[in-house]
Amino acid sequence: MFHWLEKHPFLFAVGVFITIAFAGLIEIVPNFAEASRPVIGTKPYSTLELAGRNVYIKNSCNACHSQLIRPFKAETDRYGHYSLSGEYAFDRPFLWGSKRTGPDLMRVGNYRTTDWHENHMKNPAAVVPGSIMPGYPWMFTNKADIDTAYAEQLTVAQFFAVPYNKPVPMKDGSTAVVKMGKSVAEAHALALEEAKKVAADMKDQDVKDAVARGEIPEIVALIAYLNSLK
Amino acid sequence: MNKLYLWGLIITAAMLGATYLSVGMSKGGLNGDIVNMLAVAGAVALVIITVFVVIKYVRQMQTDQATGELAEESWDNIGEYKNSVPFGWAIMFLGTMIWGMWYFTVGYPVNAFSQIGQYNEEVAEKNAKFEKEYANIQGDRLVEMGESVFLAECKVCHGIAADGIDGKAANLNQRIEEKSVKYVIEHGSNNKLLGTEMPMPDRNGLFNAATGTLITDAEIDAVAKYVANGLKDANSEGAKVFANTCASCHGPDGKGMEYVAPNIAEFTPALVVNVLTHGKKGAIGKMPAFDRLNAKQKEAAAAYIISLSKGE
Amino acid sequence: MENRPLEYDYTVAKMFMLTTVLLGIVGMLIGVTLAFELAFPSINTILGSGLAEYTNFSRLRPLHTDAVIFGFTLSGIFATWYYVGQRVLKVSMAESGFLMFIGKLHFWLYIVGVAAVVVSLFAGVTTSKEYAEFEWPIDIAIVVVWVLFGISIFGLIGIRREKSLYISVWYYIATFLGIAMLYLFNNMEVPTMLATSPAGETGIGNWWHSVSMYAGTNDALVQWWYGHNAVAFGFTVPIVAMIYYFLPKESGQAVYSYKLSLLSFWGLMFVYLWAGGHHLLYSTVPDWMQTMGSIFSVILILPSWGSAINMLLTMKGEWQQVAASPLIKFMVLGSTFYMFSTLEGPIQAIKSVNAIAHFTDWIVGHVHDGVLGWVGFMIMAALYHMAPRVFKREIYSKSLMAAQFWIQTLGVVLYFTSMWIAGITQGMMWRAHDEFGNLAYSFIDTVTVLHPYYAIRGVGGLLYLVGFLMFAYNIYKTWTSDREVDAERLNASPMGA
Ligand code: HEC
Ligand code: HEC
Ligand code: HEC
Ligand code: HEM
Ligand code: HEM
Ligand SMILES: [Ca+2]
Ligand SMILES: [Ca+2]
Ligand SMILES: [Cu+2]
Repeated sequence: MFHWLEKHPFLFAVGVFITIAFAGLIEIVPNFAEASRPVIGTKPYSTLELAGRNVYIKNSCNACHSQLIRPFKAETDRYGHYSLSGEYAFDRPFLWGSKRTGPDLMRVGNYRTTDWHENHMKNPAAVVPGSIMPGYPWMFTNKADIDTAYAEQLTVAQFFAVPYNKPVPMKDGSTAVVKMGKSVAEAHALALEEAKKVAADMKDQDVKDAVARGEIPEIVALIAYLNSLK
Repeated sequence: MNKLYLWGLIITAAMLGATYLSVGMSKGGLNGDIVNMLAVAGAVALVIITVFVVIKYVRQMQTDQATGELAEESWDNIGEYKNSVPFGWAIMFLGTMIWGMWYFTVGYPVNAFSQIGQYNEEVAEKNAKFEKEYANIQGDRLVEMGESVFLAECKVCHGIAADGIDGKAANLNQRIEEKSVKYVIEHGSNNKLLGTEMPMPDRNGLFNAATGTLITDAEIDAVAKYVANGLKDANSEGAKVFANTCASCHGPDGKGMEYVAPNIAEFTPALVVNVLTHGKKGAIGKMPAFDRLNAKQKEAAAAYIISLSKGE
Repeated sequence: MENRPLEYDYTVAKMFMLTTVLLGIVGMLIGVTLAFELAFPSINTILGSGLAEYTNFSRLRPLHTDAVIFGFTLSGIFATWYYVGQRVLKVSMAESGFLMFIGKLHFWLYIVGVAAVVVSLFAGVTTSKEYAEFEWPIDIAIVVVWVLFGISIFGLIGIRREKSLYISVWYYIATFLGIAMLYLFNNMEVPTMLATSPAGETGIGNWWHSVSMYAGTNDALVQWWYGHNAVAFGFTVPIVAMIYYFLPKESGQAVYSYKLSLLSFWGLMFVYLWAGGHHLLYSTVPDWMQTMGSIFSVILILPSWGSAINMLLTMKGEWQQVAASPLIKFMVLGSTFYMFSTLEGPIQAIKSVNAIAHFTDWIVGHVHDGVLGWVGFMIMAALYHMAPRVFKREIYSKSLMAAQFWIQTLGVVLYFTSMWIAGITQGMMWRAHDEFGNLAYSFIDTVTVLHPYYAIRGVGGLLYLVGFLMFAYNIYKTWTSDREVDAERLNASPMGA
């Protein structure tokens, strides 16, 4: 049979395709309905957080940092509760990473703070002697892309029914609403409001001035994102 | 013995030696951890298996002859023998296939493995072990344990010498810095340092009993210096302000009063535990809460911090 | 059979040989830079702090992986296809104006794609998915390039004289189909410019930006089904295609066993796809899926080793050739490293071992004993064999090739041994609790211990790069030398001293 196939390239190709294709089906399909349901306490990202997430992606922080806490005592001692599938329901793309040159960041919002991030992102080794993480000083002047973050919110709300402007259940039984603007201008206003809160805890005068002027440096968006990781 | 096998043995020995050294040099070594042992065993097996299997085929390159019946075809002059498959390979392929099917349909379901179950067991086992040990940890041992917590969790912000790395976090070698005292007097403080919601009023609530007016900027400077100095200089201007403005809550010696105000003369276990439980926001920045530390670990961290400021 | 060679037309093969060499240099130069950035972080600002945004580790890392995978390796695959395809199908590209046109179009569109990738990754335009970083406009370009590759393969097969497909062709077909399927599914994404705000605004934000069709755990599942098999159909299948042609051809030996070829091929096709779960061990995908990934990884040893053993046995009784020819040494050591990494992978796929190995440099070590020792060696060997036949000139220098072989072998050994020790050390330190039940090490302790290993890896990588530059020089000198050979040698490539 095989010898015959080797003389009939088309059927050979079909044979190869079938052989390789069905493993994928069995692997991927069963999980789809199950895993996309958010667990209680998981909120969609706000405009500013999403802009920060895009800063994270733009700079490939995922090259060194994972966001997946595995169920081992050593890991939960270090990073907090092990990850649950539903916590990632609004993560497009997922950012689990595959290399921990730096620590996991899945819940870094629990144990690092705005001012620490500010110092650290500017020059990691100044805070953590021996750190091999590069500094990202340009984030203090580059402006965050709020437009694209807003477009992304609209997209996930329209295509994947991500619940913006709707109550989502929280762990303490309350509900929370993540607001999304009705227009680009409103999205900017919402992001700025949030940015002001972050900037209030920061020390860098240029950043504070920029936010006061209505601009949003990348670092502010990034810190908003890092603080949201809990 | 053939030279090749000798080489194989040399590589194996080098591998084992290197493994022994690198495991031995690491603190704790294999640590009795099955996962560590499996990983190291896997690495060693990998080298040994590959080296000896390849040597076997290299031997055949050296001594054997290519034989067999050639297929009719030849592609760009490449011929092909009709030899049968190597027996060992075929058996292992078949064997692993059968094992795989068995494992997936029988072995795995019967074993009912779940990674969360495994995790719960691991945590229960370790907790039980350490709970037993915790009972006996006191005094110097507690400080030692606290140092270990500090080095793993706190030094990232407070620095290895607990000096706060140039003002990026609190300097824990002293109870409090002047800048922080000033900030608290001017802005008040509400960090649950007493474990409860009990704010310290800001300057608009702080009356100097001696002058009968709100505390002035000059008085703030003076008292801040006094407090940061560890309330030592009893004759200073600051001491007077303190006695008339602050002592009512913090006590004449600054050691605080239960349910009224915290100790600002020295660190206490309760204070540190409260900071670790609720976090703290002040002039320097924000200190996160540490939910993931257990009660004993917080107590130990406190003991260590207290030992630091005593050492001054 | 009469042996009067057809006049094969290597125009397109030559073009891709050029990009193989050039993109190889670029990709590995970036790799060496990355390695030294981890050892000496000041290298992050090597071109000044003004340019650090573009030279720091995280911005460069995707450029390295994509340059070596989609630049170096893929070019090598295309170059060898446009060479091997004609020869084993016994048909010349010159016979079909159409295929010639497609081949050239394939090359030039590929160049456009490469340029777009370089610009986009430097600018930080990435989706973050490993080995699938590109945004949708580039995805489309890649699909077009791939379709052209497919037309080339099946077009050439369509007009072949040799009725029965040689083993290498099986593997090229599988490469084409596998990557096509994987790439399409993993890159399902919605461009955000399609969104409309309630106020009626459209086309908001960057037009190239998109969001993945899949979220969270599902996204991870699809990504690693892709990622694992991108290794399969990028670093394994097409490289096996190469060794099945170039080793027998260069040595003049017949392939040891057709049956072994057959079982290994179909075994590989069947088993590989199931193993993707080993990238997600102890993650939030269901246990049974992880277990399946582990089981199939172990089974996968055999079809992988099958091809390698077949090649080693093809050299039965030919030790003198191995000893004499650095070109054959590359291929024999290549199959050895192939065996090595396809045993290492399954060991790392065992759950308890992965508990340590995952997230550490041990994985990076595994990656590079595969890509440097197997993929890199095979592609260079293939080009060495092709050069005298394509350029009709003697290989410039055999001794240079031999020196290169030993330098690079040392480089690979330094690379993976240092990463092994680094990975296992770090993995064990992460797990360690002290006598008080506290974590024994803060994270930074587990970073600073790695410094010497990172430095050694950098040196290993540098040696490999130096070897690659020797290779590039050798090929260049071959191309431009005047030591022409008029009659093509059946095997044993002609080499100058
Ligand atoms: C070259 C690798 C590397 C890159 C790239 C990198 N980091 Fe890091 N990161 C580290 C290392 C190593 C540490 C641990 C030492 C330290 O705290 O500096 C770390 C620590 C951190 C921490 C502290 C986490 C903790 O638990 O202490 C945060 C937050 C962080 N990085 C964020 C980022 C962000 C955001 C980016 C991208 C913009 C980034 N990192 C890029 C290597 C890296
Ligand atoms: C009405 C009672 C009251 C008075 C009067 C008062 N304090 Fe306090 N003080 C508190 C309370 C309650 C806290 C704890 C607040 C918290 O939990 O954050 C506190 C906290 C502090 C702290 C912060 C300790 C830390 O670790 O951050 C300092 C410093 C301090 N007081 C200094 C003073 C000084 C100096 C004065 C006088 C000028 C003063 N206090 C007057 C009630 C008082
Ligand atoms: C993310 C950084 C960070 C980490 C991690 C951290 N701290 Fe702090 N800590 C701070 C900052 C910032 C302050 C100062 C807050 C202020 O008063 O402005 C502080 C203050 C404190 C104080 C209060 C000092 C005072 O005068 O009231 C104590 C006690 C303390 N830290 C203990 C610890 C211990 C113990 C750990 C580890 C388990 C730890 N910290 C980890 C940032 C950190
Ligand atoms: C039997 C064959 C193989 C198996 C079972 C296997 C298994 C594995 C495993 C378990 C991982 C680690 C996943 C993790 O924990 O992060 C891995 C990673 C990797 N392997 Fe293999 N491997 C095999 C062969 C190869 C070969 C031959 C190559 C290349 C030539 C290769 C390239 C890679 C790469 C590039 C990664 C890194 C993926 C990432 O970015 O995380 N593998 N492999
Ligand atoms: C000169 C030789 C090379 C050096 C010094 C080098 C160095 C590196 C470094 C430092 C990394 C990042 C590891 C980390 O994040 O810790 C890396 C990743 C990677 N390299 Fe190389 N590299 C070289 C050649 C190659 C070649 C030739 C290939 C492929 C053909 C390749 C494929 C990869 C892949 C797939 C990864 C990602 C691994 C992962 O995510 O696990 N490299 N390389
Ligand atoms: Ca990776
Ligand atoms: Ca894409
Ligand atoms: Cu894989």
